[in-house]
Formats: sequence, structure tokens, C-alpha cells
Amino acid sequence: MTGHLMLLANFRWQHIVGTAFYSNLIKSKVVISLGLSALLLAAGLWAGIAHASVNDVVDVVDKPVTQTSTSSWPEIQSRGANQDVYFHAWGGDPQINRYIQWAAKQVKQLYQINLHHVKLTDTSEAVSRVLAEKSANNDHQGQVDLVWINGENFAAMAKHQLLAPNWVDQLPNFSLTDPDNNPAMTRDFGVPTQGMEAPWGKAALTFYYDSIVTTSPPQTLQQLSLWAKQHPGRFTYPKPPDFLATSFLKYALIVLNNSQPEAIKNLLYQPATTQSQALLLPVLWQYLDELHPHLWRKGRHFMSSGMELRRLIGDGELALAFTFSAAEIPAAVARFELPDSSRSYRMQDGSLSNIHFITIPYNAAHRDSAKLVVNFLLSPQAQAHKQQANVWGDTSVLALSKLTAEQQAWFAPSKQSHPSATIANQAISPALSEPDPSWSKVITALWLQRYGVMQ
Amino acid sequence: MNTVAKLFNPIVRFSPFMMMALLLIPVLGGLIGVILPAFGWIPALDQTHFSLNGFQQLWQTPGIGHMALLSITTSLVSTLLAFLITILILASYFTSPWLGYIQRLLGPILVIPHAAAAIAIGFLITPSGMLSRLVSPWLSGWDAPPDWLYPHDAMGLSIILGVTLKELPFLLLMALGVLAQPDLGQTLRAQHKVALSLGYCPMTAFFKVVLPSLYPHLRLPILAVLAYASASVEIPLILGPNNPPTLAVAIMQWFHDVDLSLRIKASAGAILQIQLTLFVLACWWLLERLVSQFAKPMLTNGEREYGGAIIQKITHVITALMLTIIGLALVGMLLWSFAGFWHFPDALPQQFVILHWQAASQQMHTPLIDTVLIALCATAVAITLTLLTLEAEQHSGKSLSLLGSVLIYLPLLIPSIAFLFGLVWLLEQVNSQHTFINVVLAHVLFVLPYVFLSLASSYRRLDPRFSIVAASLGATKAKIFFRIKLPMLIGPIFIACALGLAISFSQYLPTLLTGGGRINTITTEAVSLANGGSRRISAVYALMQMILPALGFLLAWLLPKIIVKNHRQK
Repeated sequence: MTGHLMLLANFRWQHIVGTAFYSNLIKSKVVISLGLSALLLAAGLWAGIAHASVNDVVDVVDKPVTQTSTSSWPEIQSRGANQDVYFHAWGGDPQINRYIQWAAKQVKQLYQINLHHVKLTDTSEAVSRVLAEKSANNDHQGQVDLVWINGENFAAMAKHQLLAPNWVDQLPNFSLTDPDNNPAMTRDFGVPTQGMEAPWGKAALTFYYDSIVTTSPPQTLQQLSLWAKQHPGRFTYPKPPDFLATSFLKYALIVLNNSQPEAIKNLLYQPATTQSQALLLPVLWQYLDELHPHLWRKGRHFMSSGMELRRLIGDGELALAFTFSAAEIPAAVARFELPDSSRSYRMQDGSLSNIHFITIPYNAAHRDSAKLVVNFLLSPQAQAHKQQANVWGDTSVLALSKLTAEQQAWFAPSKQSHPSATIANQAISPALSEPDPSWSKVITALWLQRYGVMQ
Repeated sequence: MNTVAKLFNPIVRFSPFMMMALLLIPVLGGLIGVILPAFGWIPALDQTHFSLNGFQQLWQTPGIGHMALLSITTSLVSTLLAFLITILILASYFTSPWLGYIQRLLGPILVIPHAAAAIAIGFLITPSGMLSRLVSPWLSGWDAPPDWLYPHDAMGLSIILGVTLKELPFLLLMALGVLAQPDLGQTLRAQHKVALSLGYCPMTAFFKVVLPSLYPHLRLPILAVLAYASASVEIPLILGPNNPPTLAVAIMQWFHDVDLSLRIKASAGAILQIQLTLFVLACWWLLERLVSQFAKPMLTNGEREYGGAIIQKITHVITALMLTIIGLALVGMLLWSFAGFWHFPDALPQQFVILHWQAASQQMHTPLIDTVLIALCATAVAITLTLLTLEAEQHSGKSLSLLGSVLIYLPLLIPSIAFLFGLVWLLEQVNSQHTFINVVLAHVLFVLPYVFLSLASSYRRLDPRFSIVAASLGATKAKIFFRIKLPMLIGPIFIACALGLAISFSQYLPTLLTGGGRINTITTEAVSLANGGSRRISAVYALMQMILPALGFLLAWLLPKIIVKNHRQK
């Protein structure tokens, strides 16, 4: 029903049918319409077969779980080369999409691997797909080879045993993240990764604003509440379960409970219980009850996607917004989506920080090739390229101490970048670790109960 | 030719069944794939006990009544509005050349996919949108956008505006299509003239003479619009409220939720959606009954005039307003695709750049090729099956049964959100590898009904004497089909092709779900970018979405002329 076009059809043909020259056509040797239909059909079959055969050819080797986890790297290299890899990753940012395109070119050169970026609007789409495959008993020919993931989605996949176990240690470049001295590399929102996913990059909650409209943006959560009162309708956050929404709420939850005794604060890093919820959540709801009347649309509407924040700043509707990928700010300025006077900063009372990962589903059809791709993405070359502000600006997960001096130099920031690429307060803003993933779920459910339906 | 002739009759006889199977199996299978989980049966989640938990969860969802009510009111009101404005325009301009101009102005709106239309309208009515820019700051005094709740208002008025504007051209062109049928159209126009000569005001004459004969032909399109509006996702997603959203949007979100057990609730929601759509259709039927009961005596009361002049003036205003809104929305989209930074009260961007087109063109070629290939395949299948089925009709001498014709439109009447998720599950059971074929099959479901609708009347109305003469000269049925019918119908066939391509180009949910994200088309890219922060890039994609089908129609209009001309010269 997505296009109601048939009636265009009924207009033109009337002028044509019934005119005299059709008698000439009847005698014609070539029947054009038949030719056309046949051609279209042939094109269709050909395309279908072409697509099918690519899949068939690459899937000849069946790879049981036990075999791969004991394989040596050269074996993986020889088995993994020359195949297709389907990388399911959120595709809403042109800059990130371009980086993945760049990576695709590199692995094509290195291993003859065709890396396809399957652009998701939400990572849970990939989770659903793998689950559907499991329900159809498709345990070896899965369509998802790699997923860009963290937090709740990872916890869900791990819980339903949808991930390939113990493969990250096989990657030669994983040791460059120095996992022994850097426990964050093997914990995803506090949950041990158990070799099921490899770290890819680091992010922290960064705020931004138009420095012509806003001269002194709020520096702490409490100031934010006051600022919103003075500037009604110029700040908002998205509606949970959006990623940025839960991130903002978790930041608020951590900061608001900062004055609580250590034992209570630590409950945030354990699965949420009725008891811990009763101890930690009331301050959050109190804060939000006070904040909401001063938000954009008076808190009666929250946008569904966090990406819309950027558009609303560009439109002048909002005066303050936040993001998890700080590099998108100068990039958006360069694309004219944000004003040239945009500036970015971190809150002085802390920035929610996390690591994002890449994982391989348990039934990935091209598991070895997927490992080769992940190993490349963890290479100093790929990580340094990714960290460049004009490429993606995503912070590297590699430990610089593990790199050669020459490699370390690749990570130096480029000099000529937009002022918004320089994040204020970066040094003084403490990194706040992600709470246990169960908290996202709890906050989302309770938020929707409290604010999800307008009275 | 001999083997073709031998095979032709069996193939023709078989093809109606083939077509029915292609339409029925996916829809029914998809429904089963939703009904089972709705009652708690999802082996993948180790749920194999039938229960009503899903429905219980559904009732306990906060705001579920509000969601259903929003779906019902927005779809009924917008369909009613679109229908009323269609009738008013027809009545006011029935004898004026303006009818033709309006038709030509609105025609292109049809090829705009719903998502693109919603984005364009959203930009118009949003507080920082074109309308408020045009009056700021000189009239309104706004230096910053006002804090209104439009779009996304809780009443769904923005959805109603969007759906009305998008469906109005469809209904209008459907009506004009009916009036363009030589027999019916001429009769109605003649009767209208008689009524005028009897002293009826043109407006009254239209309502009393033309409308009663016209309406039965419009019923199916109206019901299709209504069914679509009650379950559509794109427009409510972009223009509607989200606290709570319409039922269809909520179902889609539950299906996509990280919490996989929500799928049970989502499936139960899909069942509710089907009931809701049926309810809305029943409402329309009841309304129709009431109006006809109420209006019957008025038809013969001899009254000549009901304030026709005033209604005509109101219609002028509505028409002008609509054309302005559509025009501004299109201009806005074009401006965005070339916009540099665009500061709020400015009516024009600070600078114009081609950066967005360049950036998009770098990423666009693979989706573009896939879009075109899928559309060509789906259309080829649809055209071939449609032609053979119509030919079978003539072989057997009886037209498709009522059941048959209802079945053809099944994919349009059953909310796609209700069966597509089940269809994905079904395709998983059959083969999980041939993604391209899966997508083509899903597109055929939606392309076939339109192609059939567009070709059926011209095929059935083709003068049978040509075939009789050819048969009396000894031509086989195959020869008559290939040498007489197809060449004579070359125009309608090309237009049906263009239509099929356009329908395929605009499919979002079927592509996304059956393609599993592996196959990106211009439309899936446009919607995923619409969720992103870049209005400029999504304007480029939305414009591409319009250019593609427009090209198709241009070719469909030009090619037959060129082919015919070449043959005349020989």
C-alpha cells in the first residue's frame, strides 16, 4: 500500500489503445511486450541466482564450535580469507558508515574479504534475527557474522546463548589492549565478556550547545535543572529505551546517589533488586518530576530517537544537547547541520563512560573471516584511523604502552580541527562506569510507567 | 513456436492457481507465524505451552486503550476527510478544466513514499518549520521557535493531516480513473448535463446524479486506504505522538525490543491490530449505510440548490490551501537537500551546497542497484502472472470469482505489520539463504494487487472481435495472445510495469524484514536516515525516492510511443 499509483495507469493508456496503428503492430515480427517480460524475468532469475550462489559458494565449509576454538591463527587466516562477512552495525551516522567502508577496503586488500555493512536502525534488530535463526534450528548458516554491540543487547544475547564463546583471546591484536592491566576491556557494563566480544572503542557522554545562544551552559546535573527553569523548552532527552535516553538517566542516577554511603552506591553495579531500587531510584524520579515541566514541549513529548537531538539544535529548538560520540559534533558542523558556533564539554560532576564491542553470533556462517576482520579493526592502524576527529573520532581501546613509538605517533590529534572537536572539562570530569545492565531495563520500565502515558 | 503453443494452454490454466498460491501462502503462513507466538508458542525462547499470557500482558500495557483509540480515530477521520475533499473537488470542478490541472498537480504526490511525505510535512508544521519561518520574526515576533506540540500532538492531528494529504490524491485519481472509463464517464457526464438543464445547481447535480453511481467504484480504494491508515507505521512514527503511539507503531517497537519475551505481547498486539482494522472497516460500512438511508429521500425531493456557491468557495480555499501545503513541503525538501546552515527565522538557508548530494551519491550506488533489480524482478513476476491469469479468465469464459478477487487484495487489506513478522519466520523455515529471492517474493505480495488492478479492466475490455477474427483465420490461442492482445495492450502494460516498479521502490517494512537488513534499498536507507540527525541527507534520499518512480512513469509513457512509431515507419 505504500504507493497509490495505479490510477496514473488508467490515464495514459486510453490515449494509446484503440488508435489505428495497432493493426500494424499485429503484423509485427517481434512481439515487444513478450520480449520485455522475458527480459525482466531473466534479469530477475539471474540476479536471484547470483545472490544465491555467492552464499552457497562461501558456505561450503561447515565449522563446528569446538574446532574453531582450538584452531591456530594461521589456520584461521587460511580458512577465513576470500569470503563475505556481514557486519550488522547501527547505520545512522554517515561518518561511522564511511569508516566501515574504509575498513572494508582494507580487509579486501589484506584477506580478499568482502565486508558488507548491514545498516541497522537499532542493534536489537540483529539480536532478533539471530534469535529467529536459532528458533529455525539454523545453527551453522547464520546471516549475521559480526554485530556492533554493548550493554543490554550483549547481556540479552549472552543470556540466550546466541554468541560464539572464547574466541577473542585468539586474536593477536587483542593483547594490545593490555587486558590484564585493563579490566574494562573484558567487562561490558560490568558483565564479564568471557571472550565472546572484542572491545572496539570508548565513548563518554558529551554535552554540546550553540555558543552564540548559550553563553554559560550548566556544568553539573543540579545546575542543569536550574538552567532548564531559566530556559524553558530548550533542553530535553529522548524517550527510553533509546540508548541516549537511558544513558542520560543513568548519569543522573549515579550523580544523584553520589552522596549515599559507599555500600549503597555499589548496588548500582549489581543486578537491580526491589530493595536496591527502593534505595536508589526515588531521588531520580524526584529530580525528573521537577525537571520535566521545563523541558522541550513541557515534557509532554519525548523524541523517539536520540539522533533527533542534533537536528533540533540545528533548528534552534533546543539550546543544549548531548551525545555519546563527541566526534559527530565537528563532523555535523562541517556538514552544516550544526552552527559553526557549536562547542562541546563534559559535565564536571562526571561523564558516563563505556566501551563498545564487536561480537560474533554462535551460528555465524563466516566465523573465521569475521575473526580476521575483528583482528584488523583492533590493529593500531585501524584504531588510529578511527580516532582521527575528521574520520570518526572514536577513542582507541589500545594501550599505548603496548605500541611502538612509531605506532604511538599515529594517535596524535590532528592540528586543524574545528573548535568543537576540543572537549572542555575533559580532564576534570570523572569517568562514571556503566551500572549493571539490569538497571537500564528497570529504569526504562519504570520511566514508561511514570511518564510513558500522558494523563 | 510449436512448443510454446503446446505449453501455452496448460500454463495459462495453471497460472491463476500459481498467483493465488503466491499471494495466499505468504499471507496465511505469516498470520500463523504470528498467531502461534501470540498464544505463547515460541520454541526459540523455550516457550512451548499455549497460554493467554501475551494477551494479559497486552491489556496491562499502560495506555493500550489510548493506542487503539488513536489508531481508530486517526484512520477514520483522515479517510473521511480525504474522501470528503475528493468529493468536494470533483463536485466543484466537475465541468471545469481545473479538474485536469488539479489532477496533474496531484499526480506526482502519488509516487512520494509515505515516509518522505511525512518528513516533508513534518518540516512544514514543526515550530521551527517553513510555516513559522515565513511569518517570523516580522509577524510573530519569534526569534526562537515557539514551544508548540506540533507535530507529535497527543490527539494525532498531525497524523490526520499527513494521511489526508497523502491519500487524497490517490482517491481523487481513483475517482477520475472511474470517470475516464468511456462508457461510465460519458453516461455520468451526460446525466449531469441533463440535471443542469433541469435547473439543478452544478454542485447539487453532482451529489444527486453522479455520486450515487460513482461511489460503488470508489468503495474498494476507500477501504484499502482505511485499512492502510489504521495499521500504517511510517506516518504515525514520524508525525505522531509516542506517549503512547498508535497501536501499529507500538507493535513494531515491541517486536524490535531487546527484551525478546516482548514478542509474545507483540504477536498478541498484531492480532488486536487485525481486529481493530476490521472494526474500522465495519465502522465505515455502517457510516455508509446511515448516510445512504438518510440521503435517499433527498435524492428525489426535487430540491435544486443547497448553498452550492458557498460550498464551492470553501472548496476553492481548501484546494488552494492543500496545493500550497504540498508545494511548500516539496520546496522545503528541495531546499534542505542543498542547504548549508539554516538559522531559525531565516526563510532561506545561509548558503547552498551540493555537499549532501555528493555524500549521498558515494553511498548510494549499491542500494540503487538493489532497488532497481528487486523492483524489476517483482514487477516481471507480477506482470507475467497477471497477464496469464487474465488470459485464463478469457479461456474459461468466466471472470474471477468474488472470492478470487478478494484474495488478490488480501495483502492490501490485512495489516502488513500483522503478517510480515510471521512471514519472516516462515521464510526462515523454508530457506534462510536466498535473501534476494525472499525480498522479491515479499514485494510481489504488494506489487501484484496493484498491477492486477491496473491491467484487469483494460484487458477485459479489449474488443473480443480482434481475437475472433484471428481465431477464424486459424490462429492458436497462444498466437492470439502474443501477436494480438499483448501488442494492443502495450500502453497499459507499460503503465502497469511503471506502477509495479513504483510500488516496489516504496516498500519499507517488507524489505527491511525479509531482507534482514542485508538488502538496502533507497527507501530503507531513507527511513533509517530519517531516524538519524541529518535532515539534509534524508532530503536527498527522499528526493531520490521520488525521482525513481517518476523516471519509470516517464519511460512507460515514452517507450510505447517510440515503439509504435518505429513500427509505423517500417
